[in-house]
Amino acid sequence: MSTPIVVAEHVSKWYGQVIGLNDVTVSVPPGVTGLLGPNGAGKSTFMKLITGQLRPSKGDVKVLGEPIWRNPHLYFQIGFCPEQDSFYERMTGLEWVRALVRLNGLSEKDADEAARRALTSVDLMEAANKKIGAYSKGMRQRVKMAQALVHDPQLLILDEPLSGMDPIGRRKTIRLIRDWGRAGKSIIVSSHILHEIESMTSNILLINNGRILAEGDVHQIRDLIDEHPHTVYVRAEDPRRIAREFINVDTGDLRSLKFEEGAVIVETAKPDAFYAHLTTMAASGDFGAIEEVTSPDDNLQAVFQYLVK
Amino acid sequence: MTNAPAQRPIPRAPGFLASALRVFDLSVSEMLWSRRTIFMALVVGAPVLISVVLRLLDTLGAPIFRVNGTTMAGPAIFGLMIWVFYLRFTVPVLGVFYGTSLIADEVEDKTITYLFTRPIPKGAVLVGKYFAYLACTFFVVLPSVVIVYLAIVPMRGSLGASFLDLVKDLALLSVGLAVYGAVFAFIGAKFKRPLLIGLIFIFGWEQAALAFPGYLKKFTVAYYLQSMVPHAMPNDTVVSLIQGIFRETPSLTESLIWLAVILVVFLWAAAVSVERKEYVLEQ
Repeated sequence: MSTPIVVAEHVSKWYGQVIGLNDVTVSVPPGVTGLLGPNGAGKSTFMKLITGQLRPSKGDVKVLGEPIWRNPHLYFQIGFCPEQDSFYERMTGLEWVRALVRLNGLSEKDADEAARRALTSVDLMEAANKKIGAYSKGMRQRVKMAQALVHDPQLLILDEPLSGMDPIGRRKTIRLIRDWGRAGKSIIVSSHILHEIESMTSNILLINNGRILAEGDVHQIRDLIDEHPHTVYVRAEDPRRIAREFINVDTGDLRSLKFEEGAVIVETAKPDAFYAHLTTMAASGDFGAIEEVTSPDDNLQAVFQYLVK
Repeated sequence: MTNAPAQRPIPRAPGFLASALRVFDLSVSEMLWSRRTIFMALVVGAPVLISVVLRLLDTLGAPIFRVNGTTMAGPAIFGLMIWVFYLRFTVPVLGVFYGTSLIADEVEDKTITYLFTRPIPKGAVLVGKYFAYLACTFFVVLPSVVIVYLAIVPMRGSLGASFLDLVKDLALLSVGLAVYGAVFAFIGAKFKRPLLIGLIFIFGWEQAALAFPGYLKKFTVAYYLQSMVPHAMPNDTVVSLIQGIFRETPSLTESLIWLAVILVVFLWAAAVSVERKEYVLEQ
C-alpha cells in the first residue's frame, strides 16, 4: 500500500453560508492524480485547503504526513500553480521566477540558475527577458508552472494548468506533466475537462457540489462521458477556415458549428479525434494562429447529473 | 510494499528578516510603479508646485509674504509648509493609503498566493511589504521636501543656516512615515474597511484628541511627532490656537521612545494578524 501524499479527513469548508467542501474524506496516492469536476464543484477549495491557503472549517488536512495550515516549512516540498491569471506584470518572467525562488532560501546565483532551468523546462527561456504583461495566455500559464516547479518540489499541485492554452501548448504541457510523473514527482492536477485529465493520468478524483463522488480509474467515467457531446471553443485568427477544415474531414462526429467574434464553437461526439486533429492543424501552421482552446463544462455537468441521480 | 516518497535533504528556510528583505526585493518596484504612486506624486507634487510658484512671484516682486507690514523670510515659510503640507497631511495620508493596502493590494490582485505558498512566515511577507512602503514613500516624499527647501529658503534666508532644520525635518518625516505605516499596516491586517478606519483615525481621532487637554493626546502619533518639529507650530485655525494654549510637549527622548514602541508593537501585531488570518480570494 502506498503512503498517501494528501489525506483529508471529514473536511468541510464554509464561506459564510455557502459550502465549498462538504465532509470530504480522501487519500491521494503518490503519482499523478486528476481532480475532475465542473466549475463551482469545489476543486479550487480543495486545492486551497491542501496548499494551506485556507483552513478547514471542520476536519484535518495532512500533506506529506504533516498538517499544512500554518506550516510554511512544507512549501519546500510543494509547488503550487494557481488558477488565477495574476502576475507582477512589470517583471520579466526570469525576474519573477528568480525572485520567488529566492523566498525558498536560494542565493542570488542559485536562484538565477534554478529559474533558468525551470523556464527552459516549460519552453519559455526565449521569452524569459520579456515582461510578463506582454506574454500570451499560454506563456502566462507556463511561467506560472515554472514558478511552481522552480524549487524542484516533491509534490506539484496544478489548478487548471491547461486553461486557455493553445493546442500545441496543451500538448507540451500534458507531456511535461506526464514526464514529471514518470520522474517520480507526485502531481495533483485539476480540470473540468475529462479529456485533459485522461491524457495525463488514469487516476482521478471526481468532485461535484463539494463532495468526492468517485475515486479511481478514469475509464469508467470515460464511457459515461462519451455519450454526451463535447463543446469546444476555439479562438483563432481565421475561425471560418478552421470550421471548413472540420467540415471537410468530418467523420460523422461533428454535431454543430457556431461562430462568435474571432472564434468558432464546435460540438463533437469524439473529443479525442477532435483535439488530435486540431493539434495537427495548429502544428501545420496552414490555418493561421489558433490562439485559445477552451471547453465549457456542459457535457461534464451532464455526466455529474447522471452520476448523482 | 511501501512506496514512500524518497526523503531529500530539506534546505534551511531563510530567517524572518531575510525573508522580509526578499519580499521587499520582489515587491518594491511593483509598489513604486503602481497606480497608488500617481496619487502619492499628486499629494507631494502640490507643495512643490506651490513653492515654485511662490518663488517665481517673489522673484517678480509680488508682495505675497507681507504679514502686518513684516515680510516673512524663506525659512519661516518652509517651516510652515512642513507643518501644513507634510506633517498634517502628506505623512498621515500616505500612511493610510499605503499602510492599509500592504496585503490588501496583493489579495485584490490575487498575487498573494505566490507569496503565501513559499516556505516563509506570512508575517515576513507583511514586514517585507512594509519595507517596500518605506522605500517608496521615502523615495517620493523626501526629495520633494528638498525641492521645497531649495525653492523657498533662499528667499531672505540662507540655505546653509537652515540646513540643520532640513535634516531634522527629513528625519522627522521619515519617522512619521514609519510609525503611521506600522499603525495602518495593523489596521489593514486586522479590520475590514481599513481605509475608512484609517481616515477616521487621522482626521477624526487625532485632531480631536490633540485639541483637548488631558492624557488622550498621548494615544495619538501626531502628539509625539509634533514635539520633534524644529519650527514653531502655526496658529492658522481655531483648533491650532486651542492646541497652542493647552500644548504640553514631551521631550525628544520621550517622543522617540514612544514612537519606537508604537512602531514595533503595531508592526508585530500586524504580522501576527496576517499570520493567523485566512485570505479568501474572490473567484
